[in-house]
Amino acid sequence: MRRTTRHKVNLGVLYTVLLAVVLLLVLLADWAAVQENFFDPEIAKSLWPEIITVGAKNTILYTLVAFFGGLALAVVLALMRLSPIAPYRWLATAYIEFFRGLPALLVIIASGFAIPIAFGWRPPGGIVGAGLAALIVVASAYIAETLRAGIQAVPKGQTEAARSLGMSGPRTTIFIVLPQALRIVIPPLTNEFVLLIKDTSLLAIIGVAVGERELTTLARDELSLNSNSTPLIAAAVMYLVITLPLTQLVAALERKQQRAR
Amino acid sequence: MTSRITGAQPGARAIEIRDLHKYFGDNEVLKGIDFHVDQGQVVCVIGPSGSGKSTLLRCVNRLEEPTSGTILVEGVNVIDPEVDLDEIRSRIGMVFQSFNLFPHLTVMRNLTIAQNRVLRRGKDEAVEIARRNLEKVGLAGKEDAYPAHLSGGQQQRVAIARALSMDPDMMLFDEPTSSLDPELVGDVLEVMRDLATDGMTMMVVTHEMRFARDVGDKVVFMDGGVIVEEGAPLDVLRNPQHERTKAFLSKVL
Ligand SMILES: Nc1ncnc2c1ncn2[C@@H]1O[C@H](COP(=O)(O)OP(=O)(O)OP(=O)(O)O)[C@@H](O)[C@H]1O
Ligand SMILES: [Mg+2]
Repeated sequence: MRRTTRHKVNLGVLYTVLLAVVLLLVLLADWAAVQENFFDPEIAKSLWPEIITVGAKNTILYTLVAFFGGLALAVVLALMRLSPIAPYRWLATAYIEFFRGLPALLVIIASGFAIPIAFGWRPPGGIVGAGLAALIVVASAYIAETLRAGIQAVPKGQTEAARSLGMSGPRTTIFIVLPQALRIVIPPLTNEFVLLIKDTSLLAIIGVAVGERELTTLARDELSLNSNSTPLIAAAVMYLVITLPLTQLVAALERKQQRAR
Repeated sequence: MTSRITGAQPGARAIEIRDLHKYFGDNEVLKGIDFHVDQGQVVCVIGPSGSGKSTLLRCVNRLEEPTSGTILVEGVNVIDPEVDLDEIRSRIGMVFQSFNLFPHLTVMRNLTIAQNRVLRRGKDEAVEIARRNLEKVGLAGKEDAYPAHLSGGQQQRVAIARALSMDPDMMLFDEPTSSLDPELVGDVLEVMRDLATDGMTMMVVTHEMRFARDVGDKVVFMDGGVIVEEGAPLDVLRNPQHERTKAFLSKVL
């Protein structure tokens, strides 16, 4: 067989398999049950407008707090990680490895229940504050590693040029290295942001007040209330509406940086 | 050319290096260098790749940490831990092979940032000085461009203007034309020639033998971490005394 002919036959086989699977699904699925359990229009309507004004709003709010809190902490951690002073490096490395090695859920439970019970700690902002503190702590470990990579990607000649002009170490970091590093890490930071959006759903583990529920908590409550999964689909749609544009943005930024090289 | 340091007089030592040793790990890269540059002098350092030229140059403003020896810049030992290194560096202009302009800043900001942050000059004064130096290197009108939009030759001239904007007492050049397309080399050399004519003290690591011959007051030939031979450019380049110098020059001339 000639190569092109064989290629066509292979493609034909693949499409046939795909068609067969799709047909099988369509025939076997219980469409009435699917519609009733996942796409109930009455229930979908009853979610309105809380799913936006409470769920989506809180998801975005919690993500922003966790992200910018984490970013601020991460700048300090990354600079410690690259410090010429060894104990700073050890501390930062220990922190980063510790929190990257733990499930975020575990940290949230610790911060929300274990630590308040053990030490009588009253987290600012109540239980949500405790959950957010956990998210900040975990996010900062990941963001710090991203920042460190970005700082190290700034050519050494930049520091040398600044120092040769008489700029001090801290000034060089602030005015020359960090602005360039931040530019380099915008795409990976946006990725961290998307991951955080999804991680805010972990706050569902700690019971919060009605007005403080984010998308997943809201959806789960509504699911139990209605014995119906339509709220899950609604929440999923909300997540995608938020995350898809961001992942597209990351892809665009990465293409742009590739071209600028 | 006004010197920021009072009492600097022509003929005095601008840079004096005594018995300088530098190791990278176990690798001895500078093996006892004695060397000096006088005020207003242009000293060209030549030699094969890996001979330690850049390392020597970078020890002068301590971008490399010397292992032992003495480095006096206008009489001040830069190796002294008590010394204000940033202040000394601000008086020594440095130009790199790879330009090292700040890519996130405009040309103007490249020229003013250290004036603001190090010399504490006000905005208007810094901008005024920057404009003057841009004009000097033939790039008036490029104030708002970003480095990426300039040719290599233009970038290197901006880098020279950036160093000049600090009103340095001396300038260090590390192969300033080596990464340039041949047709762009001339513009940069011309700027350097003008600087020399203005009386700037210059230490230049270069492979441009014509520049060394025409502009240099002294040529230093390095090989294997030592200074093999030094003297007036015509003597060293036309009539080298050492075999190693002859072998090197026969390859590059
Ligand atoms: N940061 C460093 N770490 C380890 N070794 C180094 C370092 N910098 C330079 N060296 C070594 O020191 C020696 C001298 O290097 P240097 O850059 O001073 O040579 P050079 O004369 O400037 O050469 P070239 O003409 O290639 O620029 C080389 O063997 C080089 O490998
Ligand atoms: Mg070199």
